[in-house]
Amino acid sequence: MAEVVLKDVMKNYGSLYAVNNVSFAVEHGEFVALVGPSGCGKTTTLNLIAGLIPMSGGDIVIGDRVVNDLDPKDRDIAMVFQNYALYPNKSVFKNLAFPLQMRKLPKAEIEAKVMAAAKVLDISHLLERRPRELSGGQQQRVALGRALVRDPAAFLMDEPLSNLDAKLRVAMRSELKRFHHNLNATVIYVTHDQLEAVTMADKMAVMHGGVLQQYDTPANVFGNPVNTFVASFVGSPAMSLIPLDVVSKGTEVALRSPEEGWELPLSPMNARKASASSNGKLVLGARHSTLKLHKSAAAGAAPGKVYTVEPTGDVTFAQIFVNGAVVNISLDPTVAIEPDEAVWIEFDQDRMHLFDGETTMALKAA
Amino acid sequence: MSIATQQAASPPATGTVQKRSGFLSRIVAHRTDYLYVLPALIVMLVVIAYPIYYTIELSFFRTPPNLQMRDKVWTGIDNYVRVLSSPVFHEVTIQTIIWTLASTVISFLLGLGAALSLHREFVGRGLMRALLLIPYVISAVAASYVWKWLYHSDFGVIGAISVQLGITAEPINFLDNRQTVLASLIVVNIWKEFSFAMVMLMAGLQTVPDQLLRAAQVDGANTWNRFWHVTFPHLKGVSMVTVLLLMVANFNSFIIPFVMTGGGPADASHIWITHIYQLAFGRQQWGVASAYAVILFIVMMFLGYFYVKALTRGDEARA
Repeated sequence: MAEVVLKDVMKNYGSLYAVNNVSFAVEHGEFVALVGPSGCGKTTTLNLIAGLIPMSGGDIVIGDRVVNDLDPKDRDIAMVFQNYALYPNKSVFKNLAFPLQMRKLPKAEIEAKVMAAAKVLDISHLLERRPRELSGGQQQRVALGRALVRDPAAFLMDEPLSNLDAKLRVAMRSELKRFHHNLNATVIYVTHDQLEAVTMADKMAVMHGGVLQQYDTPANVFGNPVNTFVASFVGSPAMSLIPLDVVSKGTEVALRSPEEGWELPLSPMNARKASASSNGKLVLGARHSTLKLHKSAAAGAAPGKVYTVEPTGDVTFAQIFVNGAVVNISLDPTVAIEPDEAVWIEFDQDRMHLFDGETTMALKAA
Repeated sequence: MSIATQQAASPPATGTVQKRSGFLSRIVAHRTDYLYVLPALIVMLVVIAYPIYYTIELSFFRTPPNLQMRDKVWTGIDNYVRVLSSPVFHEVTIQTIIWTLASTVISFLLGLGAALSLHREFVGRGLMRALLLIPYVISAVAASYVWKWLYHSDFGVIGAISVQLGITAEPINFLDNRQTVLASLIVVNIWKEFSFAMVMLMAGLQTVPDQLLRAAQVDGANTWNRFWHVTFPHLKGVSMVTVLLLMVANFNSFIIPFVMTGGGPADASHIWITHIYQLAFGRQQWGVASAYAVILFIVMMFLGYFYVKALTRGDEARA
C-alpha cells in the first residue's frame, strides 16, 4: 500500500483539455473521491492514473515510483469498473484467478489467494458460477474480489455503484466503506454522485471542466466551498446562490437587490469580505438549513415568493424566488405556506457564503 | 373486426371438440391473420415445396434421354444404389469435403486476421478496408474468368512470374492438371469470400466491450492474452454463424468450378452441385441427378439444423 501523487497532470485532445493541470496527493490508506458532473474529466483522470490512456503532461507517482511510462500491469494498481467488466466466459473462480494467472503465480498460491478473497467478500459459494448467473450486487463483489486478490498499491474505482438499484447502492456503499476500513486500502473512487463522495471519502476532489476545483475533506468542501461551482455541486438540495450588488454607506456595508431594490445589511465580518469583491457585485450563498422563513417583513430578511412546496415527511422543502434566483429552504412540516405566497427569508450571517460576482471564488476578509 | 371480438362471437365449442380441433379452430379464429400470409405460403408451396417433392419423386425413376419425361420408368431405389456405389460419387464427395473444409477454414482465418488488423487505427485504414472488400462485391462469373486467365498455362501472369523468378522451369498448368486443379480453385474461392468473414468479424469486434479489454490490461494481460481471454470468446457467436454460413455457401458452390473448369479435367474439380448439374442438364440423367440432390438435401438439413441452433444460442447469450 502506498500513496498516489499527481503533479500537473494534463490530457488534451487537440485544443480540448480533458484534464488540465490537476495536482493532488493521496495519502496511504486514504479514500479519495473524484467527483464532478459528466464530462468533468474525472474518469479520464482515473484512466491516466491507471495508465490506460497516455498523458499529455505532468507526473504520476505511485508508491515511490514515477509511473508515467509504465504499462497498466506494471503500475501495481487494481481497477473496478462501472459495468464490473467481469469476463463473461469465465467462472467466478477464474475471474478472480485471472490477474494472478497473468502474473504466472504458482497454482497453489493462486487458489489460496482466490479462496481468501472470496471469503473476505462472502462469495465462496459462487465460485463455480458464471457472471451472468449472478445478481448485480454479487457481480460487484466479484469485481472487487478480482481487484483484491492482487493486493495492489491502490484501488481505482470507476463509478462502481452506478449500475445498482438505489437500495443495493446504499447497502454496497457501506460495504465498500467497510472494505476500505478493514484493508486500510488506498482507494481513488470516481463518482458523479456527490452524496456517495461525501458519505464514503476521506477527501474529495471536485472537478469541473477538466480543472480540479477543490481538494479537501468532505466537511471542508461542504462547509467552505472555494467557488460557486463547488457550492452548488455539493449538498442536496443545492446551496442557493443569489447574485446581489454591494453598497457601502460609511462603515456600514449592505447587499442590494439590483432588481427589487431591497437591502440586506451585513455583519462586520461579512462586510469586510464583501468589500473584497472585485466589481461591486457578489453572489450570496446559503444552505437550506441555515435559512429562516418569516411570514411578514423582518429585519435582515429578504422578500421572496413561494414557488413550490415539497413535503417529504419529517421535513418540508420549499423553493422560493428571491431576486429572480431560486432559494431552497427546509421547513418544519407544521409550517403552512402556499405557492405564490409572499414570504421573507432571514439569512444566518455566520453561516452565509459570499462569492465574488466576477471570479465566482469565495471572498475572504481583507 | 378485431380478433378479440371474432373469438367472442364464435359459438362456444365443447371440451372434446376443442381438444381435437384445437389447431384448426385457432386458425379459424385468426383467419384474417392467415389470410395475410396466404400469398406467401402459396408462393413457397409452388417454388419450394413442389420442386422438393418432384425431385424426390424423380429420384425413384429412370429417365432415358430418348424418352419423354412422362415416360419415365420406375426403378425403386436403384438410382440411390447406383449413386452410392459409384466411384465417381466417392471421388466427388471427397473433393466436396476438401473444397468445403479448406475454403471455410482458410477464409475464416484470413478474415479474422484481416478484421483484427483493420480494427486498430492506422493511416489508410478506410482505403485498405475498401480494397479488401473488392473480391466479395465483384461478380463471381467475372472473377472466375479473370482468374482463369491468371492461371492460363500459356498466357497466365502467375505462370509467367514463377518462371521469371525461377521458381519453376515452365509455367505450371494449374487448371489442366488433376493434382493442382482443386487447390487452384480453392485459392480463388478463398480470395472471393474471405472478406465476407472479415466483415462479419469486424462487426463482431465492435461489440467487444472496451471496459473488458481495459480490465484485462490492468489485470496484466498482454496483447495475445487479451485476444485469447476477452476478444475471441466474445467473437464465439459470430464466428460460429460465419463458419456455418461459409460452410453452407461452399457446400453449394457452383459458379467458380463451373466457369473455370466445368468440373474437369476428368471430374477432378467436380463438387456435388456441379456434378449434379452435369448429370441433369449435361447427360439428362434426371433420376440419378435427383437421387444426388436428395442426398445433398439431407446433408444440408443437418448443416441447417446446426446453423439455426447456433443462431438461437447467440440470442440467448445476448439476452
